[in-house]
Amino acid sequence: MIPELIIALSVGAALFGVGLYGALSQTNLVMIIMGVELILAAALVNLVAFWRYLYPDVPAAQMFVLIVMAVMAVEMAVGFGIAIARFRSRGSVEMEEARELKG
Amino acid sequence: MTPQMIFLMFFGGAAVWFGIVVFRTLSMVRSALALLFSQTAVGVMFLLMQAEFLGVLQIMMMATEMSVMAIFMVMFMMDPGGMGAMDMTHQKRLSLWAGGIGFVAALAVIWLADWGPANLQIPDATEQTAELGRELLGRSMFIFESAALMILTAMVAATMVAIHPSEGRKR
Repeated sequence: MIPELIIALSVGAALFGVGLYGALSQTNLVMIIMGVELILAAALVNLVAFWRYLYPDVPAAQMFVLIVMAVMAVEMAVGFGIAIARFRSRGSVEMEEARELKG
Repeated sequence: MTPQMIFLMFFGGAAVWFGIVVFRTLSMVRSALALLFSQTAVGVMFLLMQAEFLGVLQIMMMATEMSVMAIFMVMFMMDPGGMGAMDMTHQKRLSLWAGGIGFVAALAVIWLADWGPANLQIPDATEQTAELGRELLGRSMFIFESAALMILTAMVAATMVAIHPSEGRKR
């Protein structure tokens, strides 16, 4: 049992739970993106904890963190691109109103 | 209990608390700021776990990202200040259950799994960064370059999606 690893992983689990709640419960696209960001932050905490307490001599573990950070940036860029397109065509980014793929 | 454990618990608790505030406050700008604080607390956790490069990168990247998010909030939301007390949630009970079950399942795995022996011999910050650089430009170069290409593609795709269709027709 490694107490520091357990603490870090528990924080990751809590961030994942909060992020999942946010991504499922929000109707606004920007708020849904925020939920997904929290889920990815949970993944980051887990990856750094695994590297620090189990494999500190393997630099590939840190590289995974960089890849997840790249995914976070991409997710935000594409999400905001879709938000702008949606706002221009419908004047709103409420996902309750986005029930069809057209326009 | 070591000081590292106490600080990990404090900043971990702060990250989770601000994460909850993101979905509890009515003001969207406050939501973006709460997410910034949550991500900064995660960055401080990285620093506590002696991942200096990743910790600083996380804080810098999230400060920029969340500032952009706050601007988008003000641009797109019907009530960015939360003055109208609009409810912008749906399927709350289902979401609470899903989040709760996800949290409990992850906790069960954390407590029941055998994580093996700890390896606490960590290289110093300079050596860590040098090793990461060698890894990125050596064995993992293909993955690293793929990530770069993915970001470039996403930037082009996001710009193309965001361009107004009539702007294309005018030219």
